[in-house]
Amino acid sequence: MTTAAQKNKSAITLKGSAEIVCDYLNYGINSILFQRGLYPPESFKSDENYGLTILMSTDNKIKEFLSTTLGWLVDRTVNKVALVITNVKTLEIMERWDFNVEYEGDVANGEQTSEKPLKQIKNEIRDVLKQIASSVAYLPLLDCLCSFDIQIYTKSDVELPAEWAEAEPANIKNAQSVKMRTFSTNIHKMETVVTYKNDD
Amino acid sequence: MTENSENVNDTIMKMVNNLKSAVPKEKINNYEFGSLKRTASLSNSNESCYDDLTPIKKFKQENRLDLTYIGSPREMRRLRADLVEARNLILTLESRISHMHGLRKQMQLVFDEENQSLKRQHEYDKKTIEELENQLQTIRQREAELKKGLAEVNNKYDLLKIKTSEQVEKLEKSLEEFKEESRQIEFEENSIIPGLERKISELETMLEAAEEDAEAQKKLAAELELRLSEKKSIERDLELKEQALQNAKLYIKELEYVKESMLEFQEQAKTQAHKLTHYVELQKENEELKEENSRIKEDIRNKRSIRFKEPPRKFKAQEKKFVDLQVQEAQNALYLNEWRAVARGICESTESDAALPHLLRTTVERLQQQELNLTSEKVELESQLKSISHEAKIAKVELEKSQKLLAELKLTGEQKQALIHRMQKKLLLVSRERDSYRLQLDSYEKDLTLWVNTTSTGSSSSNQLQAQKERIENLERIVEGYRDMVTKLENDVQSAQPNIANDIVPVKAEQLSRLQDEVQQLKNENEKLRDRKDQLEIQLETYMVGHDTLQGGQVFHLANNPLAECLAQRENLVDKLEQEVDKLKRKLKNMEEGIENSKLGDVSLCPKEVHALKEQIKSHETQTQMLKDYFKSQMQEFRNVIYMLLGYKIDRTQNSLYKLRSMYAEHADDQLCFQVNKEGDLNLLENEFSATLEDMINLHLRHQKSIPVFLSAITMDLFNNKTMSKTFQIE
Repeated sequence: MTTAAQKNKSAITLKGSAEIVCDYLNYGINSILFQRGLYPPESFKSDENYGLTILMSTDNKIKEFLSTTLGWLVDRTVNKVALVITNVKTLEIMERWDFNVEYEGDVANGEQTSEKPLKQIKNEIRDVLKQIASSVAYLPLLDCLCSFDIQIYTKSDVELPAEWAEAEPANIKNAQSVKMRTFSTNIHKMETVVTYKNDD
Repeated sequence: MTENSENVNDTIMKMVNNLKSAVPKEKINNYEFGSLKRTASLSNSNESCYDDLTPIKKFKQENRLDLTYIGSPREMRRLRADLVEARNLILTLESRISHMHGLRKQMQLVFDEENQSLKRQHEYDKKTIEELENQLQTIRQREAELKKGLAEVNNKYDLLKIKTSEQVEKLEKSLEEFKEESRQIEFEENSIIPGLERKISELETMLEAAEEDAEAQKKLAAELELRLSEKKSIERDLELKEQALQNAKLYIKELEYVKESMLEFQEQAKTQAHKLTHYVELQKENEELKEENSRIKEDIRNKRSIRFKEPPRKFKAQEKKFVDLQVQEAQNALYLNEWRAVARGICESTESDAALPHLLRTTVERLQQQELNLTSEKVELESQLKSISHEAKIAKVELEKSQKLLAELKLTGEQKQALIHRMQKKLLLVSRERDSYRLQLDSYEKDLTLWVNTTSTGSSSSNQLQAQKERIENLERIVEGYRDMVTKLENDVQSAQPNIANDIVPVKAEQLSRLQDEVQQLKNENEKLRDRKDQLEIQLETYMVGHDTLQGGQVFHLANNPLAECLAQRENLVDKLEQEVDKLKRKLKNMEEGIENSKLGDVSLCPKEVHALKEQIKSHETQTQMLKDYFKSQMQEFRNVIYMLLGYKIDRTQNSLYKLRSMYAEHADDQLCFQVNKEGDLNLLENEFSATLEDMINLHLRHQKSIPVFLSAITMDLFNNKTMSKTFQIE
């Protein structure tokens, strides 16, 4: 999983950093899908990482999606990954989880490495995942049939693979947003923000 | 029914055929005829009994007739035996026939009963169906009427709705306008209030600060006053000292004057002393000069005498000089005297002139010493004075400053109080206005909710209309009231504004200008803040949480994402459901039509099922019929067997009442009735026949307590009687 990152014991390569980010996205998105009840709980199986037990969906679509994202993260063309939760009945967007990506350090260098210890990065990721898990406490209840979509906000010069299509940015009316913690590999900086429709 | 009866007839026919009897066909025909005629009445059955009996009698008569015939004894014996056999046969046949009759009668009875019950049920069903049809018709009529009524009511309701909706729209519009107005006003208020409140709070804080300052200043003032008093005392001291100083100064001046005079005097004295020292010389000189003069005079006289004519120039010059000297001397003497007098005055001594210079010197020294002391004292005092005056100056400056500050603070405090007072007034006005608006709003809301309620709970149309009219009137009245209120408020505002202006007028122009400046400043600040706010808002809009920013890129997602899938599924589901709904609607329509056309609407519902059910019912019926037939035949057989084996025909007439008729009974009515009592034992009931069997009852039932024995005894008795009578008859 993070073998590429650990190959050079003291340094994390660009690809390794992208993989760390993708791992985080995988766990984070699955955690959100479970927490927000978008899939039935039976379709999840537990997995342990970052010292946390995270329930992972058996749906392969997320992995497929992440494989494409990985390449783009290495190319530094991704601005943001958004998990959009939509009410199926009214097509109203109920929630949007933004995973904002920032690129740190020498952006032009393809062989960029980071000296940040992996353990520290994992601790940071764990903190974010904990926050995601506890966000259920204040997010409004999704008492309607909802489904989700994952959108990637890229820079304009991106080759679109097959089975991918252009999407509309998801805007939420009367929204409120909560910023989660950020973590950084010193190559990629990931900021997690949840924006949700305010009921009041 | 006819089927049943035919069945019964068939069975009877079969039974009769099975008997292989020698009964002539006529009789069978008779029976058939009889059976056809027969009803369930008892009298008929009796008649039939008689019918049955008649042939036996005939036989007997024939037998009797036969007795008269005389033949050979062997033939007679054979004949008798034949006869007995025949009689037996006849008897058995008779008994069988009667049994058959009984059976048939029972069957008939059962069938009749069933028939009747079925007929009754049929009639009942018919009646109920008719009733139901009638009911249905009435219901349909009623439904049609109701539908018509409903349509009318609906029309009325629609009209009313349209009217009311128009009215409501109007009202809503007006309400909206009012709301807008109120909102604007409120907004203004709101925009004003926080500003004012902020100002007030600022002012309050300022006031507090000022008060604190004032307190501090008061303290300072007290301190300063204390200091001032100290200063005053010091000043007093200073004054005293100044007075002393002035005195001293005066004294010093005097002394200076004295000293000056003294110095002058001293100088004079010195010159005098010098002169005095020269005096002897001068005297000497003078003497010399006198001598010279005398000599010269002598010379001159000599010379004059010698040369009188030409005046000696040297002499003349000498003479002149001498005169000068003389004048000088006189003058000097005068001076000396003067000095002496002065010295004496100073020395206050009248000593001789010789001691005078010493005395003068000592006095001068003394005076000089004194002067030195005084000058040092003066310097000291001057320095002291300087320091004190400096201190006083500083204190004065401080005092002035603090006084100024105090005055200023007082002024500002007063201004602020005035301002606060004004603000409070304004706030009160504004809050009152706000309250009124709130009230207005509440009333609007109430009206709105009321209106909503009334519209939602649409009762009868007329009532509603009435209520609506009332409501509208009420609302119009309320609106009028609001308008009045608004105009009043506007007037109030207009009247209040000049008042404010008037209030301001008496206020000092300076203050006014200052306040204006302040206002200007605040306005500027406000402007700045507003600009900042706008900027921030613009910034906020860019960062607006709900809106997603593309940042000049593109957005991609998987074409077959879960949302799209979910939507497709949902669409499919909706399509399916719509189709199903259509189907069901059609079915419902068909059903409704079917029910109207035929009373058997169920058939159209699911004819297959109904058909299957019907077939099932038929099969069940046939099965039951078969079972019935089987059981009937078996029962018949069983009864026959019992009759043949035990010689009693057992009938169960009522519940647990059994009638036994012996095979050898002399009369058809000779029956024994047994009833099963509660303990399960059999009781013999008394009747005509049992009354004749007293002996046997006593012996077998009361003594031996055995019903079978009793019955066997009866059988034996009857058999013996019959055979005996026959034998007797034969004999």
